[in-house]
Amino acid sequence: MFVGEIINRRDVGTLASFTLQARESLCLSGAVSLAKGRVHEVMGDSADMFAVLVASQLSGPIIWTGLARDIGSLAPTALQDFIDPARVILTEGVSRGEVLWAAEQALRARCAQCVIIELSQGPNLRESRRLQIAAEEGGGVSLILIHGRAHTSACETRWRCAASSAGAAVWDLSLTKNRKGELGNWRMSWVKSEISGGAYEAGVIHLAAATAA
Amino acid sequence: MRRVLSIWLPQLPLDLRRRKADPRIAGCFAIISEIKNAWRLTHLSEAAIAAGLSAGLSLPDARAICPELLTEPSDAVREAALLRALWRWADSLSPWVALDAPEGLFLDITGCAHLFGGEADMAAHARMRLADMQITARIGIADTKGAAWALARFGQGEVEIAQAGKTSAALTSMPLEALRLPQKLTSDLRRTGLKNIGQLTEIRPAELARRFGLALTQSLSAALGHSPDPVSPKAAEPIYAARMTLPDPIGLQADLLGVLERLTASVCKRLASDAKGARRYYLTVRCVDTGDHVLHIGFARPTHIQPAVLQQFARPLEALKIEFGADWFRLEAAHVEPIQPFQISLDQHKQAEDDTSKIISTLGNRLGFDRVRQFMPMQSHLPEREFTHVEAMDRREPVSWAPAPRKRPLRLFKRPERLITLDPGRPPKRFQWRRDVYATQDAKGPERLTAEWWQNESQAVRDYWHVQTQEGVRLWLMTYPGSQHPDWFIAGRFA
Repeated sequence: MFVGEIINRRDVGTLASFTLQARESLCLSGAVSLAKGRVHEVMGDSADMFAVLVASQLSGPIIWTGLARDIGSLAPTALQDFIDPARVILTEGVSRGEVLWAAEQALRARCAQCVIIELSQGPNLRESRRLQIAAEEGGGVSLILIHGRAHTSACETRWRCAASSAGAAVWDLSLTKNRKGELGNWRMSWVKSEISGGAYEAGVIHLAAATAA
Repeated sequence: MRRVLSIWLPQLPLDLRRRKADPRIAGCFAIISEIKNAWRLTHLSEAAIAAGLSAGLSLPDARAICPELLTEPSDAVREAALLRALWRWADSLSPWVALDAPEGLFLDITGCAHLFGGEADMAAHARMRLADMQITARIGIADTKGAAWALARFGQGEVEIAQAGKTSAALTSMPLEALRLPQKLTSDLRRTGLKNIGQLTEIRPAELARRFGLALTQSLSAALGHSPDPVSPKAAEPIYAARMTLPDPIGLQADLLGVLERLTASVCKRLASDAKGARRYYLTVRCVDTGDHVLHIGFARPTHIQPAVLQQFARPLEALKIEFGADWFRLEAAHVEPIQPFQISLDQHKQAEDDTSKIISTLGNRLGFDRVRQFMPMQSHLPEREFTHVEAMDRREPVSWAPAPRKRPLRLFKRPERLITLDPGRPPKRFQWRRDVYATQDAKGPERLTAEWWQNESQAVRDYWHVQTQEGVRLWLMTYPGSQHPDWFIAGRFA
């Protein structure tokens, strides 16, 4: 069943706390931001890491949907460096259809600020439009982790994140598709903030432009 | 003076099958159960008794006597359910009804009998109503529970009444078994030459207690009415259910929803008035052609909110295939728990929590509640046993995670993946994993882990290496140092 009309189209705000500090701005104009109420695609080996970093800047439950083989390997012992593992609700689908359905339901629910979807192949135009409509209704950030190939889709941005050999918490981040703005490459690093009194605080993400887009 | 009515249902297991129109009842049929490591007959059909069988006979003996005998093991659960149904029915006779499991009921009928025109008429009425339900019953009425019980089981007729104050006279000729004593005590009494209750009452209670213990004298004085033995009815747990029978079958989605709306309204209203909520709802739809279909939904927290129940039922109801229509519906709330009412608008945190449990319910009802999970920490030093998954629906208490002592990979493979070593080393200098070739740039390790001493694993000792590859990917390599030709595995991938 297709939703014909979006009744309560929310203002699409930007994710304020996700300020990526650009030390050098080669091809950047202003801070990079991820739009809320939009679908973003992430590719590369460390796509899950990028998603976790985004989730660390948000509050509320994180609904992580995927097939059993994908979400089954997720380890909370590493997640807890970045987010409180109790926030994560794992949703296991047996087929791509179920995963997408669960993601759509989760996006429509207002409680989930961050919905992470793991797919082997990127969503096509129809699938990504449905997710986009659901994300606009719920107002959360939707991140699609693509393990294989991406297809033409209605996503807002497409990122590629890979671990860098430069250090332990360093990643190479590149923006390969952006519907509103420019593309770019960055070197991203993570500084963990001190955990005080058991409360999880978001660490700081540093971003340095590495090469020209 | 109290008056107690005891109903004995001597053929309850057979009645259960008779009510289902079981054709075997007409022939040689017996219910069997395992008593002292042998299958023995407990209840027999009339034809079986006519064939010379009797209760207590072992199954091989019975087969030898009557080769055409059909048997079935007793089904305690269904028999108990029937007895409980009768217990509820007995409310029509007296408000004071107690179960006398496994096959009887006690009714305190003090001040009730005149409503039926006297005790004899009341007993006849009860037997008639039970006979309508195809249930055989024997009834005893007396001043005490013990006496009524004895009269029902050991009386001459189908209905035995001991007039008020005539209890001891009625009990005099009863056998010793009528006292509801342990079997060993009864046989001990028999060995001393005592045969009936009348002989017992002639002996001084102190003598009896000294020889046979207090149980005997207590039972005797309770049966004779010297010590109190009240009928204590246990309140039935309320059943939150509603049923609807329609004159004509329906099949349209809108009609089904209409029925469901009326059923949920009734159930939810009763739940709400008792400040209770249910975690599961079962809807039985009886189709005219295909029989009963049970649809069920679950909730992450107990609820009695009608729109939520309707919303969750919409999907299974849509999937239900009805061809010729359904004419009988029953909605039952299960896993009923008390809920605390709260204000919605003032507490935003609570609202967010409610939204979360709502989405868990929605996802769980479609995917299965075992597929919507959360992490739970475990006490172990082995990386794969440091955490487990629990159903998100069951999570009630927040958990806290102790900071990890060592860096662990973000992706931990349940089964370590074997890699192909291209350039050996410790760890390998170049290797192939999945389809890519990696070169080791930097390696930290080994971290040696041993399984707990009670785990008898052949590959108990493991060495882990944190490898930074030149390609960027950070991997967790593993090997079993004890083995002859150590193979290398990828145990996980770091962030």
